[in-house]
Amino acid sequence: MAKVIIKNLKKRYGKAEAVENLNLEIRDGEFFVLLGPSGCGKTTTLLCIAGLVIPEEGEIWFGEELVTSKEKGSFLRPQERDVAMVFQDYAIYPHLTVFRNISFPLEVRGVSRETIEKKVKGVAESLGISPLLSRKPAQLSGGQRQRVALARAIVREPKVFLMDEPLSNLDAKLRVAARAELKKLHEKIKTTIVYVTHDQVEAMSIGNRIAILNNGRLEQVGTPREVYDRPANIFVASFIGSPPMNFFEGNVNRQDEEIALDLGFALIKLPEEIKKAIVKEGLSQLTVGIRPEHIEIVKEKGKSTEGLIEAKIDIIELVGKEFIVHLDLGRWSIVSVTSSNLDLREGEIVWFSLDINRVHFFESQTGKALSTS
Amino acid sequence: MIRPRLSRFFLYLILIFFVILFILPLWSALVTALKTEQDLIYTTPIEPPKTPTLEPLKTTLSVMGRPLLNSLTFTLGATILSCLFGSIAGYVLTKIRFPGSGIVFALIILGIFIPYQAVLVPLVLTMVRLGLYNTIWGLILTHTAYGIPICTLLFRSFYEDIPDSLVRAAQIDGAGTWTIYRRVILPLSWLPFAVAAVFQFTSIWNDLLIGLVLSRGIEAMPASVALANLKGGFVALWNLQMAGTLWYALPALIVYFVLGKYLIKGYMAGAIKG
Repeated sequence: MAKVIIKNLKKRYGKAEAVENLNLEIRDGEFFVLLGPSGCGKTTTLLCIAGLVIPEEGEIWFGEELVTSKEKGSFLRPQERDVAMVFQDYAIYPHLTVFRNISFPLEVRGVSRETIEKKVKGVAESLGISPLLSRKPAQLSGGQRQRVALARAIVREPKVFLMDEPLSNLDAKLRVAARAELKKLHEKIKTTIVYVTHDQVEAMSIGNRIAILNNGRLEQVGTPREVYDRPANIFVASFIGSPPMNFFEGNVNRQDEEIALDLGFALIKLPEEIKKAIVKEGLSQLTVGIRPEHIEIVKEKGKSTEGLIEAKIDIIELVGKEFIVHLDLGRWSIVSVTSSNLDLREGEIVWFSLDINRVHFFESQTGKALSTS
Repeated sequence: MIRPRLSRFFLYLILIFFVILFILPLWSALVTALKTEQDLIYTTPIEPPKTPTLEPLKTTLSVMGRPLLNSLTFTLGATILSCLFGSIAGYVLTKIRFPGSGIVFALIILGIFIPYQAVLVPLVLTMVRLGLYNTIWGLILTHTAYGIPICTLLFRSFYEDIPDSLVRAAQIDGAGTWTIYRRVILPLSWLPFAVAAVFQFTSIWNDLLIGLVLSRGIEAMPASVALANLKGGFVALWNLQMAGTLWYALPALIVYFVLGKYLIKGYMAGAIKG
């Protein structure tokens, strides 16, 4: 067990910057997720931690031990670092039986035969693959292969687990089950896990903390709750959550002392901190983000029309107990998630309201969130 | 219905004609090797012998026995060594990339395009200096060196299809470069080994030029050179020559029948993937 510290990490492939000046501190025993779209540098970061890729600049520490630093000339080769890794394609050895696959890291390290036997059987038992030990990988299903890869990593009892999209080759149903199992496994062994994925749902459900990367840069680090409720910028806000957040450009509207934001279809009142920020920065435009679940649709306009906006239903997607409703506001369109108990039809005129307390404000120029906390 | 059947008939007729044409020399060699000297005069080359005899086969074996053994030794030695070195080079060039590996690969491949004739004189001089002239070891060294480029090319293209993650996994599991080769790459390489072995065995076995210039006496004389010597100065003893040819062709044929199916499989694999 160890914490992993990454300082000013830089890695280039030719001219392309894969990772730019990355700083991360992964706590001891944490399930830490590196999340981002493809090509954001998350796998490169993982390979740097593994020692499979040597970064141009920066340092990587495992606890008190410096494992990578080009400047200081210290570098531990992958086989000298106490890490285990699960690969996206599992990378199990096709010519070896399941038993020999799991025992390989122990054999190479010269562990005694009895210990190997005991450990392999124990790990196979805990992952439910004991009956498969004498089989070859070609005779296994995708889910079984994934378990073998996991078993090979666990049997070493390493300081740090590295996982590179280990569930992305499984079918949807199996993936959800494997996710839960992985989480349970982590609670049991309590070893630091660094997990790479491009799937935000997976990241949210599995991670203690998430680092969101984009174009080799760190966008935000935080718990799933934090990155969901308080995204640091437009990128994080749009990347996390499904269906994605609605964004609108708003003009700052000053009338006397009162400051409001004109979205075109609605005038939004602003919280005090936002008003202060607008005055301080002299902003004239803001980007507003509203999650689909914070847009409530009503069929009948009640007595009070306060805050209700008229719209036509464009498309309705049924996803189980919920509707994803695409509303047409003429020049704008907006997506809402609402209970499928409501009897909605495409083409119908309805009213909706915005949950003003859950609106996110961003600087249009930089994309940075204006603090609302 | 008549026309396709008729065209089929003619197709087979043409094919059978060509099959006979191709088999005829082998047939002729076989029957001639079993003829006495009288039969050589009284029968045409494609007629079977009137009084079959094993005498020519026995006589040639006594002459070619040692050269055949020589050829077998250095061909097997050079085949195994060139395949092994080609495999190691292919592994390093695909999986353990190092600065300048592209240049190294280009230089190795250049070796394929250097004609034997261009290096004969320096080759002989080098072998004399090394004390390997007219030895089996000299032939093993030369054929191994000449085999490495083509073997490297073959193994490299095969290893490119082995996912890098397999090597990375082995690295993380604690294996060094050599252990990965021995315990992961080598066990997965039986197909390219079979292909390269057939290719190397036949081309080294069939070589005449290098054998001719690097051997002087019977000690290191390859079978190909011994066969050429059977030709004789004044009389063409066809039965002896054909018997020698049969002995000479036998090992290469055996190798082809044992490993030939892998050769086709290997070529096909390359054809589909590459």
